[in-house]
Amino acid sequence: MIRLYHLHKRYGEVSALRDVNLRIAKGEFAYVTGPSGAGKSTLLKLLYGAERPTEGKLLLGGVDVSRLSARKLPALRRNMGIVFQDFKLIHSRTVAENVGLALEVIGTSRPVIERRVAAVLGIVGLRGRGGEYPRTLSGGEQQRVAVARAIINDPSILLADEPTGNLDGGMAIEVMEILQSINLRGTTVLVATHDVGLMDRFPYRRLRFEQGRLVQGQST
Amino acid sequence: MHALRHVLRRAGRSLWEHLYLNAMATMVIAAALLLLGVYLTVQFNLNAIVDTWDRDVHLSAYFHDDVPEERRFARRDELAARPEVQSVRYVSAADAREWLVQRVDDIEPVLDELGENALPASLEIELVPAQATPAAIAAFGQGLAGPDFEDVEFGQEWIERFNAFLSLLQLLGAVLGALIGVAALFLVANTVHLIVYSRRDELEVQKLVGATGAYITAPFLIEGAVQGLLGALLALAGLWGVHQVLVLRLQEALQLGLAGELAFLPGGYQAVLVLLGLTLGTAASLLSVRRFLASAP
Repeated sequence: MIRLYHLHKRYGEVSALRDVNLRIAKGEFAYVTGPSGAGKSTLLKLLYGAERPTEGKLLLGGVDVSRLSARKLPALRRNMGIVFQDFKLIHSRTVAENVGLALEVIGTSRPVIERRVAAVLGIVGLRGRGGEYPRTLSGGEQQRVAVARAIINDPSILLADEPTGNLDGGMAIEVMEILQSINLRGTTVLVATHDVGLMDRFPYRRLRFEQGRLVQGQST
Repeated sequence: MHALRHVLRRAGRSLWEHLYLNAMATMVIAAALLLLGVYLTVQFNLNAIVDTWDRDVHLSAYFHDDVPEERRFARRDELAARPEVQSVRYVSAADAREWLVQRVDDIEPVLDELGENALPASLEIELVPAQATPAAIAAFGQGLAGPDFEDVEFGQEWIERFNAFLSLLQLLGAVLGALIGVAALFLVANTVHLIVYSRRDELEVQKLVGATGAYITAPFLIEGAVQGLLGALLALAGLWGVHQVLVLRLQEALQLGLAGELAFLPGGYQAVLVLLGLTLGTAASLLSVRRFLASAP
């Protein structure tokens, strides 16, 4: 599913990732972990095309993302879901509108969007809350809205950058359980986190980064 | 089809949600187009006046005293037969003297002193309207040069001076128009940038969930087109007001006798203003959104 060959990412003189070689299988659940500044978020940004590698090759489902033109980037992102620590919800839009956005941008009809939104809100435990606005929800509920938005188009891969970073223990577990259930449906899930307790509770492969180098978890 | 509906819905929503900023952008476009419209109206009317004057211009060809009268009539008939000539009138020295005496008091003693040849006989020639351009009149006048005529007058110098003034006015208008256009584009682009900035989170999310640049840009282009169209219509309404209230009253005050001749901007020019408004609105939106898209992840 994901293959990295001698991947480097530099910002001027600073190396964010150094010679990373990695393979993540289809349907796998893995953590990207390490201290702050280790390169976790940079790896995720490279995977969803927000950044370009300085050197090396990055294959996503056989497609070389490092050589993908800006014009082809939307097609790549339509096949992946992304969850952020700060949720990135649009506060002037309702929960249903936020969740349906990924289908709206590909021109899906309104009735189909409404059906799918209702279904994914059920999956994340927010059935019947589509008419509410994000600010009226708790942090955990807002993150569940973000997860619903990420999975509404049945992506083959889900990237989550510190998805529980802004949540307390109980809410973090709820969100992790949702991500786990999504993975059980066949979606490859990659979660960037440094929450060791959470990783112990939901034990999956850990890709540990230190100063831009992958120091643990290269092989499955 | 569904995508188009989503885009239209988003454009309508953004117009409503950012009513103040959209009104600002519309007013900037309206102000720029109003200035341009005032200039175009002045230019159009000056051109129309010059056209009228051009049509009134005629040539006076003065005979040498020693040209026999038969020859003078022959030249008159020969010129009258030319297709570019509308009319030719022979004015004898006596006719010219009578004309002057009737109009200028106490000129008769002066003319007597100058002798009977003080005023030469002439041909007063008027060209057909199609030929009544300064260049055609000048060419016709130069063609009359020869042994029969002592002098040919056709007011060429005056017409050329006025045309030079008009050319200068056109140049100034072009420079002014370009400056106003750039300033308006800059102001509208910055106003639209405020709208883009206030929606940056939404646009960023759209990009992250796979929206194409065209999908993100389209609602802003529609917003820009609406701003441009409304701006142009406001400018035309303002121009109409200026034309009705100020210009016509000024005419009355100055008693220029031009009332009814000073025209409002014709339909073609109005269409150009509307097109300029649409271009300004959409170009400003495009600039702002492109700038945002280039920086968004």
